[in-house]
Amino acid sequence: MTGAIDRNDARLEEASEWIVRLQRGGEAEALAFDAWLQSSEANRQAFDSVMGVLDEIGSAAPQLRAEDAVQRRRPEPRFSRRFYLGLGGLAAAAAVAVAVAPQALLAPATETYTTAVGHKRTLSLADGSIVEMNVASRMEVTLARKERRVVMGEGEAVFDVAHDARRPFLIHAGDRTVRVVGTRFDVRHRGDQLSVTVAEGLVEVRSGEKGRTFRLRPGQRLDHRAGSAQVQVAQASPEEVFGWRVGRLVYRDRPLREVVADLNLHFPQPLRVEDERLASTRVSGVLVLDDQPAVIRRLGLLTPISAVPSERGILLRRPAGTK
Amino acid sequence: MPEIHDRPPDGGDALLHAYFERRANLVRFFAARTGSLAAAEDLAQDLYLKVAGREAEGEVQSPVAMLYRMATNLLLDRARGERRSAARDGAWREATGSAVGGEDLAQEPPADEAVASRQRLRQLVEAVGELPPQMQRAFRLHKLEGFSHAETARAMGVSVKAVEKHISGALKALTRRLAR
Repeated sequence: MTGAIDRNDARLEEASEWIVRLQRGGEAEALAFDAWLQSSEANRQAFDSVMGVLDEIGSAAPQLRAEDAVQRRRPEPRFSRRFYLGLGGLAAAAAVAVAVAPQALLAPATETYTTAVGHKRTLSLADGSIVEMNVASRMEVTLARKERRVVMGEGEAVFDVAHDARRPFLIHAGDRTVRVVGTRFDVRHRGDQLSVTVAEGLVEVRSGEKGRTFRLRPGQRLDHRAGSAQVQVAQASPEEVFGWRVGRLVYRDRPLREVVADLNLHFPQPLRVEDERLASTRVSGVLVLDDQPAVIRRLGLLTPISAVPSERGILLRRPAGTK
Repeated sequence: MPEIHDRPPDGGDALLHAYFERRANLVRFFAARTGSLAAAEDLAQDLYLKVAGREAEGEVQSPVAMLYRMATNLLLDRARGERRSAARDGAWREATGSAVGGEDLAQEPPADEAVASRQRLRQLVEAVGELPPQMQRAFRLHKLEGFSHAETARAMGVSVKAVEKHISGALKALTRRLAR
């Protein structure tokens, strides 16, 4: 990124096209790109200019995304061209700022989305709904004409569902179905354990077609283990449950085992607990998820443990002298 | 990241020579693929380790082609999420006598380091916000939300080709406006 650039240089266009072309992968493209770079210093400079801007934007992506969310909530008719598609249910005000192409309604395609350990992701669905996926999660999304359907594998996500009375939003997780009209809530499906916590609106959870239906209101949480007939509904604080979105985990009287299982989804280096008795120790408190050593140190303030590196990850044990 | 490997090799290894000759282009290639200069430097460093640690197998026919093949494979490994365990990683680095500053290579740099000032951030926000609507949506989905070209195309109900046109158009417009 040396010297002043010529902003009208046609090479900027070529450089931009290379960045796009290279996304297709393949060695032949890579070699052709190398040859283009080799052919002139001006090409290299043009590429470095485009790349410098792209890098800067990528680094600022969290702020730019946040800005987008602010814009979306503001009902600003600035981009009126977006309305030309004429959604039948434009009363669905939440869907306003997001264009829905007709093809998307006619031919429902199922998309699979995944996140790896330590990685989160925000999906902007074509219906205007926003799904924030937590770490190590997987889901399939189908936007059909009569319904919007998510099959949730292992994982957790907060759903901000665009209101559309004609197309219910259904989430299948294990042996339960969550049905939504328009609301914000968290679904956690890890192992055979399902939890649904509602922040806004009304959510129904039912088993099978004719099974019993539970209606959840804001501030309520449902817990269920797949295969069992039991369902528990209790009061919960949505801010606490939704904390993972801002890198915060909140626990009230939970076993250390559960805390460690959560942390292992956020950091590649696994934690292990020395024995079952320690794993059952109850933990209460807030953990800010920045870097792993710091998190372990803070966990040590919530419950007495010491961390020892071992062959298979980090071993958590009682500090010497306590039994 | 310390550039401890950027000295010419002693031996006559054609692949190593090609690496040093092409290093800047390889970094550009990785940057184009990952969208991040820091990630590109890390990958170039990883590629060096692969090149230097390679068993000699006689003459390499086309060293440059070989380098880009190895570079493409590195990106594939990364995409598959094949994380080497931290322990194995450490052992490997020790064996090859290199220190890479203890950074997790798969992680993006902290956002606040790269964006120097609020004012600059406002410029970025404005520049992206003033792209034409469809171009902006494609750019946001692909570059900010991490959708692939195909995912972006499906989300928008347009062809992959249209998405590619939007993205390269957005890059050109943003560079004209923001390049320093």
